[in-house]
Amino acid sequence: MTRWLREVGWRHLVGVVVLAFAMVPIVFVVSAAINPLGTLSSSELVPTGASLGNFTRLFADTGFGRWFVNSIVVAAVSALASVFISALAAYAFSRRRFRGRRVGLLAVLLIQMFPQFLAIVAIFLIFSTVTDLWPAIGFNTWWGLILLYLGGALGVNTWLMKGFFDTLPRELDESATMDGASHAQVFFRILLPLVAPILAVTALLAFIGTINEFLIANVFLTDAGSKTLPVGLYGLVAGERNANFGMFCAGTLLTAIPTVLVFQLLQRYITDGLTAGAVKG
Amino acid sequence: MTATKLGGPVTQARPAPEPERRGGSPAAILLKATLLGLAIAIAVWAAFPLIENEKWTGLAILVATTAGLLYLYLTPRHIPLKYLAPGTVLLVLFQVFPVLYTASTAFTNFGDGHRGSKQEAVVAIQTASVTQVPGSQQYALRIATTGDPATGPLVFLITDPATRQVSAGDAGGLTAVPGTDAAAAGYTVLTAGQASLRSTEITAFAVPTAGGAIRSSGLSRAYEGKAGRAYDEGCDCIRDTTTGRTWTADESVGAFVGADGDRLAQGWKVAVGLGNFTRVLTDPAIAGPFLRTLVWNFAFAIASTGGTFVLGLLLAMALHSDRVRGRTAYRILLVLPYAMPSFAMLLVWRDMFNTDFGLVNELFGSDVDWFGGSTSARLAVILVQLWLGYPYMFLVATGALQAIPRELSEASRIDGASAWGGFRRIVLPLLMVALTPLLISSFAFNFNNFNAIYLTTEGAPFPADNPANGATDLLITYTYRIAFGGGGAQYGYAAAISIFIFLIVAVVSAISFRRTRRLEEVHS
Amino acid sequence: MRPAAGVAAALTCALALAGCGGSDDTDSPGTGPSAQQQQGELVIWADDKRSAALQPFAEKFGRENGVTVKVQAISKDQQTTFVTASQQGSGPDVMVGAHDWIGNLVQNGAVDPVQLSADQTAGLNPNALKAVTFNGQTYGVPYAMENLALIRNTDLAPKAPATIEELVAEAGKAKTPEKLCLQVGQNGDAYHLYPLYSSAGGYLFGTSADGDYDPKDLGVGRPESVAAFKKIATLGEKGSGALKRSITPENSIATFTSKKCAFLVSGPWAITDVKKANIKYDISAVPGFQGGQPARPFLGVQTFYVASKGKNKALAQEFVTNYVTTPELAVALYQAEPRPPALTAAFDQVKGKDADLEKFVAAGKDGRPLPAVPEMAAIWDPFGKAEAAVVGGADPATTITAAGRTIAAAIK
Repeated sequence: MTRWLREVGWRHLVGVVVLAFAMVPIVFVVSAAINPLGTLSSSELVPTGASLGNFTRLFADTGFGRWFVNSIVVAAVSALASVFISALAAYAFSRRRFRGRRVGLLAVLLIQMFPQFLAIVAIFLIFSTVTDLWPAIGFNTWWGLILLYLGGALGVNTWLMKGFFDTLPRELDESATMDGASHAQVFFRILLPLVAPILAVTALLAFIGTINEFLIANVFLTDAGSKTLPVGLYGLVAGERNANFGMFCAGTLLTAIPTVLVFQLLQRYITDGLTAGAVKG
Repeated sequence: MTATKLGGPVTQARPAPEPERRGGSPAAILLKATLLGLAIAIAVWAAFPLIENEKWTGLAILVATTAGLLYLYLTPRHIPLKYLAPGTVLLVLFQVFPVLYTASTAFTNFGDGHRGSKQEAVVAIQTASVTQVPGSQQYALRIATTGDPATGPLVFLITDPATRQVSAGDAGGLTAVPGTDAAAAGYTVLTAGQASLRSTEITAFAVPTAGGAIRSSGLSRAYEGKAGRAYDEGCDCIRDTTTGRTWTADESVGAFVGADGDRLAQGWKVAVGLGNFTRVLTDPAIAGPFLRTLVWNFAFAIASTGGTFVLGLLLAMALHSDRVRGRTAYRILLVLPYAMPSFAMLLVWRDMFNTDFGLVNELFGSDVDWFGGSTSARLAVILVQLWLGYPYMFLVATGALQAIPRELSEASRIDGASAWGGFRRIVLPLLMVALTPLLISSFAFNFNNFNAIYLTTEGAPFPADNPANGATDLLITYTYRIAFGGGGAQYGYAAAISIFIFLIVAVVSAISFRRTRRLEEVHS
Repeated sequence: MRPAAGVAAALTCALALAGCGGSDDTDSPGTGPSAQQQQGELVIWADDKRSAALQPFAEKFGRENGVTVKVQAISKDQQTTFVTASQQGSGPDVMVGAHDWIGNLVQNGAVDPVQLSADQTAGLNPNALKAVTFNGQTYGVPYAMENLALIRNTDLAPKAPATIEELVAEAGKAKTPEKLCLQVGQNGDAYHLYPLYSSAGGYLFGTSADGDYDPKDLGVGRPESVAAFKKIATLGEKGSGALKRSITPENSIATFTSKKCAFLVSGPWAITDVKKANIKYDISAVPGFQGGQPARPFLGVQTFYVASKGKNKALAQEFVTNYVTTPELAVALYQAEPRPPALTAAFDQVKGKDADLEKFVAAGKDGRPLPAVPEMAAIWDPFGKAEAAVVGGADPATTITAAGRTIAAAIK
């Protein structure tokens, strides 16, 4: 028993304590979502009544379904593309030695640190021209927004992946190259499968980051049909937080569902240690 | 191999088994040709609007970029660049350009009242000064032409409300039209739809009269108006047409200034050199509480990064064992805080810290004025950051633990090391290789984490004698308030402040970065 | 060869140059380039609620005139977004917003004056017309007005209090947990405090001879404001407890509707919630201090603006000056949100069915238009924080003097 406690019990203890911390605000949101009189003033965790009215109103009175589709498409496409772009760059930074490598790495990091006071002005500057010339990728389009998000693909995620490439023994690619494999073969057939967990993690992080992005999407998407979930949901409570708070909470909960599904989908890459055997190389 | 699926199109790109020097399989060559062809097709598609609008510079950049990329992927040289090019192009377009743009505005007075060019300011001043000629009346208007509705010369057909007399007006003035039938007089009246396509012409159209000019007010009404102010090129000034008063252009401030120092509201953007930078250094509102804010800013960034990292790693380790039942359920629930839109949850947390109605005080039966005291407010914002941020670190650490060969940690166990010792000597160093860069970037993100403060305390509590700088203010929220709080948005000034903040965080990060060189070489 | 390189090349070109566009966007919400060629297009920006209400009328206007009308909702920072977008040529043709934006919109050359006929101006509420008049020009067409009033739960407080002292006494008798639901929040709320501040003798900007606000005469930090804040302090957390920082913009209405307080200071937007909670209520003017001046709420006016840099200004003018001024649209906007219409004809049409409207207008009898001068932007934040500090128990004199200093420095 004590041995169980020492080896497994503490794990549950940590899990349960953090879970309590994690869940309180979420239970609060759930409670507001199913509370027919859901307002922000209620400090109760237990709702005074239960109904799905907020959910049905959300679909009946707002463009929620449309926002949902927009969000999923934008988030999925930009997550996949950004993982791919990041992985390419991470490979170069980790495995290739070239002039300006350290400077490039540092530059990628530093650019993200610049305070974004004027990002909105610059976005208008760029996309006003783009919209005039190529309306298919201008304001209010999926592709324009995805492109804009991909501007950040070479960023934190690149660092994350580069860190993981660094942990893989160099002998792996060296021996493959000796056997006559090209750099592309080394990258796609040997290294990528080994960093599968981190590809999955990065994809998930990119997906979450995009599906929850608000500030840029808010100015980029003004057409009712093109809005994403955060923009649409914010619109529900903008100005009048109280009246729609229940619907807002319901929407917030539904927003979390795709994320949880993606997590579930990627979970086996992240956690099942599929690659444990392969690392021996 | 399944992992390559994550890369999308990569799965189609099975590499040929032969070494590259001997050329690829026919399928691979075909694929490459198709993709390059598609790239050219897209470039051609993008070129048409550029040619149509005569954007030759843009076209040159497009051609150069496309040619550069084709060369890059057809030559066997420049291998690293092949991998870096996709991200770099996007980075330059959507990150580097905005940063450079911001930096360039730091040398201007760009902001409310000084957003556009001088020409735009002049137009705005003249438009704003147009008033109806005293004693004049409004007319019913029909927009007509003597030619084709889309291109023919415009004519204003106006009807005097009293006499029902119809007149036709153009740049030459008004002429009476006999009868009321426009068609009979040879005019085609434009429909609203047709007229709306010629909006710019209609807005600019003015029929000169003795007292001023007849202009349109929409598509169905016209009025006789007169501009009260006009730009005079001779004196480079704005002159009031009634009083004769003048405001002379002052290029150093970007405004028209009167003799008594009074400025017209509509100004324009001018370069002000280092003015914004010296203002940052000399502004007592910034210099005064700067050090205190900087110290807290560091504390906040370190506590947020460190706290989430420790908690995330602890959780990842706790669940990194096959013997823990319900791991899947744990993980899904534990990731939830990250799955919820953060702006929404920041607002929820803010309400949870309410003294009288908040859930926090309710649950603990306490009566703490959370955002009222410096210490409690700081604790509260860090706690919120912990909640929002630990799932990220948890995910990353879980991935990292998985990527570390289990044999390594197990080997140390067999050697007789304790579990903790093995972790510290073998696993942790490897983890740090992967995670240190992430910690640096997380630190940098939190250093400028605007939303974390702005959506919760907004900087509160504020000392009674200084409403400009609060206990939880970060440099970025504090300077945001200075640059945008009073007298409209001052983008130029904000940009100058951004550059200073950037220098601070960049120096700290660059120093930390130097230390990663050692970590990076762990395998070589 | 290098298939990977080929993939990367295609991706780069596709992403950087065209964003996968052109070939594969079957369901893109974007409009084709040719859509606008045949018809004039009018783009209207408003907040979420109003854009929903405007939609059917915009469509009707479009049908009648053979043009396309797009109503787009901007959820956050409407004013800044409008000015920034306009400057870069991506703005709308018509903007819907509050009248106190005018000063800033004018200095940025973002809106044009409108030329209304004598008949049209005569049909508008004079206060509303005054609010949209700036430097002698009319800068928009007002359609709805709003001001704060005292909403009380008549079960808990049958009689309308004549003074704030009376209100505190009444609230004490009602034995509710909170005395007054007047939002303060952690960082104060100048808009909601202003009736009490003005009643206690304070002012923000003096007025010039012609009745316009004079930004050179700043009232915050003056002895009058110190005296006013001393009176306000008596209502604070260390005083009678009528004003509390824990009453926030988010919870004030909800606290009232859950019967935790008998009095709510709010505007017409609160009524929907109050009705939904089945509370018996009445509306009266916000009471002032005993022996003080009348409490003067700010009058706010919702306005249609013609954007200077719109692509279709003639059509925008037609919409704003000749279509918005019809009672039909004003009534519909009232139905979307019950604020008193600025158009007298529309007001008369709806007031019979809604007694609250006249009560709100009566409560705003002593009101003052919200200053539209750009300098007002410097007031909100420091003034609110001074309020929060004083309500929390800080010394009124030092607090408001410091706020006055900060504001004066920002205006300079």
